[in-house]
Amino acid sequence: MILSARRVGGLALAILPAPACAHSPVPGIEGFYTGLVHPLSTPAQALVVMGLGLLLGWLDPKRARVAFAVYGAALIAGLLFGGGPKPYDPVLFATAFAACALAALLSGRLLPLICVVAAAAGWGLGVVSVPDPGPTRDWIITQAGAFLGAALGPFYLFGLSYYLRQRFPAKGVAVALRVAAAWLAAISLVMFALLVAAARLPA
Amino acid sequence: MYSRTLIALFSVAVVLSCLGLPALAHTGEGYGGGFVSGFTHPILGWDHVAAMVAVGLWGAFLGAPAIWLLPVVFPIVMALGAVMGILGIPLPAIETGIALSAVVLGLMIVLAARPPLWVSAVLVGAFAIFHGYAHGTELPATANAFAFAVGFVIATGLLHLIGIAFGLLVKWPAGRVAVRGAGALISLAGVGFLTGAV
Repeated sequence: MILSARRVGGLALAILPAPACAHSPVPGIEGFYTGLVHPLSTPAQALVVMGLGLLLGWLDPKRARVAFAVYGAALIAGLLFGGGPKPYDPVLFATAFAACALAALLSGRLLPLICVVAAAAGWGLGVVSVPDPGPTRDWIITQAGAFLGAALGPFYLFGLSYYLRQRFPAKGVAVALRVAAAWLAAISLVMFALLVAAARLPA
Repeated sequence: MYSRTLIALFSVAVVLSCLGLPALAHTGEGYGGGFVSGFTHPILGWDHVAAMVAVGLWGAFLGAPAIWLLPVVFPIVMALGAVMGILGIPLPAIETGIALSAVVLGLMIVLAARPPLWVSAVLVGAFAIFHGYAHGTELPATANAFAFAVGFVIATGLLHLIGIAFGLLVKWPAGRVAVRGAGALISLAGVGFLTGAV
């Protein structure tokens, strides 16, 4: 379909970069948004989300349901019981490496192993998303946002990956997904090593 | 109809480029600087370039599944090498290993060698250790380590893709000659790196 000049103009207006000055209509809802984007707020968390999405994207929906159930349960457990001091980035990078390497090399085989990685990812993302102590209502709202954000990220990536493989059955798509996973695995491993090396340095 | 759309797109681009909006870009430090230095690290080292392109070329030459397996194995094992470099685990003859990777992989292409898949993967993986180690030892001192890691992994992958794209010429007889010729060039360059002539 050919875009008309009016539509193109409208699109250009819509994508114009401008500061967002709106305020939230619901008191306390800021915490929800903070929680929602929290899984993408640090490289470690973003890599876990992307790695898990790519890993689960190799599964058919029936098997993916099992892995998502494990992930969701671990995420809730992490959010509820994972408070306290947590230098958790090395664990997240290691989990991201495991997820990405499995996505690159095994392409959906070994469901039990995938579930173990999903559980680790869920627990890790849950632990680092626990908000600082505060009013119970705000705490719950922020936790709800964090749960939704951490659940939606891998879910959308799973959907995208699955859709691409179904829509474009040519081998190139599958290869691209494997290569992307391999690149993310490499980045995760390097970051893991950097943190371990930094921890070994004398203060 | 297409021309009208093109004119509309061009007009919008001109209008947008003339809009006086505040420049919010940050400086070359931090993420941007780290990414650029990571991205250019493999590209500005000819020994890295030769070997990365050779991996892609050889993968394309061997066909499926090597065409995807080698570019998947390489970055993961390269990261292991980077880990060794970061943690300070000693590895001898880094530069020699990197130069040898160009020599050997180039020769594999020239000779149209078709070893078993696992042999190809092990060979490529072994050389990836040296390349990763070199990246890893230079990583901690940069502006942003994460951005550096992203940069050098993407650059490495893109060099593989260049090799793969060129290697797909093997479908045609003349292309086969061109690819093997490229392998010869890479191998010769590797000899140059090895002897210090290049």
